[in-house]
Amino acid sequence: MVDVGMTLEMVQASQMGMKALGAGLAVGLTGIGSGVAEMGIGAAAVGATAENRDVFGLALLLTVIPETIVIFGLVVALLLLF
Amino acid sequence: MLRPERMRRLFIAAPKGEIDTIIRELYRHNVYHIEDFVPESESPEELSIGHPLPGASDAASALINVRAIEKACGIEPDNVEIREKIPASKVRAMIQTDLPAIQKTVKDLVAKRSDLESCQKKYEQRLKDLEPFAAFPLDLESYRGYSWFTVFTGHIAHDVSIDVPHEKYFSDQVDGNMIVVVVPNEHREGVERTLLDAGFQAVPVPEESGTPADNLKAHAEKVRKASEGIAQINKDIEEIRDRHTDFLVACDELLTADVERAEAPLRFATTEETFITEGWVPDDRADRIQEALKKATGDRIYIQELEIEDDARVPVEYENPTFASPTQMLIDIYARPRYSEIDPTLMVAIVFPIFFGMILGDVGYGAILLAMSLGLRKIVKGEGGRMLLKVLSYASVSSIIFGILYSEIFGSALPWPALIFSRHLNIGGAAGGHGPQVVELMIIAIWIGLLHITLGRILGIVNARKIYSGKHATQAVLSHAGWLGTMWGIMLMIWAFYAIPLMPDLTGLPVVAMGLNVAAVVGVVLLVAGILGIAQENPLELVELPTIISHVLSYARLVAVGLSSVAIAMVVNYIAIGMIIEPQLEAITPVGVIIIIVGILVLLMGHALNTALGLLGGGLHSIRLHYVEFFTKFYKGGGKKYNPFGMKPKFTEE
Repeated sequence: MVDVGMTLEMVQASQMGMKALGAGLAVGLTGIGSGVAEMGIGAAAVGATAENRDVFGLALLLTVIPETIVIFGLVVALLLLF
Repeated sequence: MLRPERMRRLFIAAPKGEIDTIIRELYRHNVYHIEDFVPESESPEELSIGHPLPGASDAASALINVRAIEKACGIEPDNVEIREKIPASKVRAMIQTDLPAIQKTVKDLVAKRSDLESCQKKYEQRLKDLEPFAAFPLDLESYRGYSWFTVFTGHIAHDVSIDVPHEKYFSDQVDGNMIVVVVPNEHREGVERTLLDAGFQAVPVPEESGTPADNLKAHAEKVRKASEGIAQINKDIEEIRDRHTDFLVACDELLTADVERAEAPLRFATTEETFITEGWVPDDRADRIQEALKKATGDRIYIQELEIEDDARVPVEYENPTFASPTQMLIDIYARPRYSEIDPTLMVAIVFPIFFGMILGDVGYGAILLAMSLGLRKIVKGEGGRMLLKVLSYASVSSIIFGILYSEIFGSALPWPALIFSRHLNIGGAAGGHGPQVVELMIIAIWIGLLHITLGRILGIVNARKIYSGKHATQAVLSHAGWLGTMWGIMLMIWAFYAIPLMPDLTGLPVVAMGLNVAAVVGVVLLVAGILGIAQENPLELVELPTIISHVLSYARLVAVGLSSVAIAMVVNYIAIGMIIEPQLEAITPVGVIIIIVGILVLLMGHALNTALGLLGGGLHSIRLHYVEFFTKFYKGGGKKYNPFGMKPKFTEE
């Protein structure tokens, strides 16, 4: 149902806009997801590290595992935009 | 390189008469890592923990004294510059002659100072108590000692009128106002109610005599004298510190050594006539220490080299080329390698700066960080901090190199186009050329991920063969090979169906079966074989299969984090220069000059912020790629730190 009044440029521009919106949503929502996931792990990891310095490596590793979610979002966003 | 330093396990037994000589010799060589003797139920009954050498408690109490003096004078041996080494014999003589005198002086000074401090506090409190009464011209005696009258003194919200015979003083010059009311005892309750209605808060009259003003002056004088005295004592202590620092740190060092030596038998096993100790010595110095021990005791010693049974018990010392040794710090944060494991320090030392440079490839930021790391090296004294700064300086050099390749300086272009892939975004219409080559950069990052993970898995195979034996080793090797097969199988299948720039295009190969071409078939075979390889070690590991994709894609952060840093830099430039400064330059007005200054401030602030973000982003993401994506493929860690018995004298010499 293309509006008769729309030119090709307008359609292209609106497509670009939709892409940008999609990219923004991809990064933003996955960012929130990672943040929520890391919140609990990070708090527990800091607690564990305070008890015992030796587990720092493991704690950091566990904390950053959910970061993959936002990296996926970032990949999707970059693929959408370029 | 790639392996921790080789160790030899020594077993030493000797008659108790030689214990002093042997401890002295071991201490001097500073290579013997003592394995503490722990009496267990299965160890022979005749063995017990040794007793400290005579003189241990004297040395310990002397050391406590020296440390107390150091603390009082604010001396930290770690931060003291070495001026000259004092001979140990001279220090020992001075401990007898000079130390008691210094100790007495410092102790007296400190005691006097704390007296003065409490005196100062006391009079400061009195000043505070007296202050409200200074508003009235009354002697302090006249507030008390009446049998027929009641005196109210205190703060009040506002002046009140009292309708019984009374004497009243009010002042609003004092904080919270001040009121003094004297009434006959029979009117006390009524007046008290009136006062309380006006928010009266009683203030006790200080137990002093004379006028408040005179007392205030006297107290202030006392406080002043006390603080003068404290300042004088601090000066005296400083003088002592300047005069005796060298001697004190030398004492500290010498006595620490004495105490450590005297308490060493607590870590040995002893019988009635002999003692036994086990420990570790680096391979290349083992012969020398054995000979030295034999020579020192005149061969009244038995030394045997034992087999290394359990690699978890071996202390671990790094052995790396000089440029890689600061990176050991980063490995220690994760975990020290185990003895029989590959030490990844060298690989991290090479790859970490490259990742950092890829993320923060900017000549300007690189130069700032390089200057910072070189400048801070003079201020930071701790060992760990210095090592981190060295790692940072390598990383910033790499950042400068990548900045030249990307042609970036503070987010703007250098006079040449990007030598490798461009990251110039089109912000504010400033970008020239063909814009950012994000897809190409991402594919390069994926390639780096594939290769890095493959390297990790290969190291995993090498480690598995070293750590495990027999069936377990084969299983572990097959499992690592399975992960590799699965990963490359997936890649082959992707290449067989899609042509991706900068990657092999296998779409054109002849079709074999079911519409799959050669590459796809090979990919499927690898994938299935790989999954079988993983499952034969532990089928539960199959739930980890998606990590193959997530770990490889995780390397996309090399581009993504870098691009965000470029974007911030460009936005800062655009706002500060394009939107604030440039429009003002067309016609300069007095207001315009102020706006230009604001623009410059925005520019500086923005780039300072971005430098900090770049340091955090570049550093944390690079090290995370190692910790999470690389180390999980092969690295166990958990080795004990090699901590030789002995000390390298810094302030004394034998």
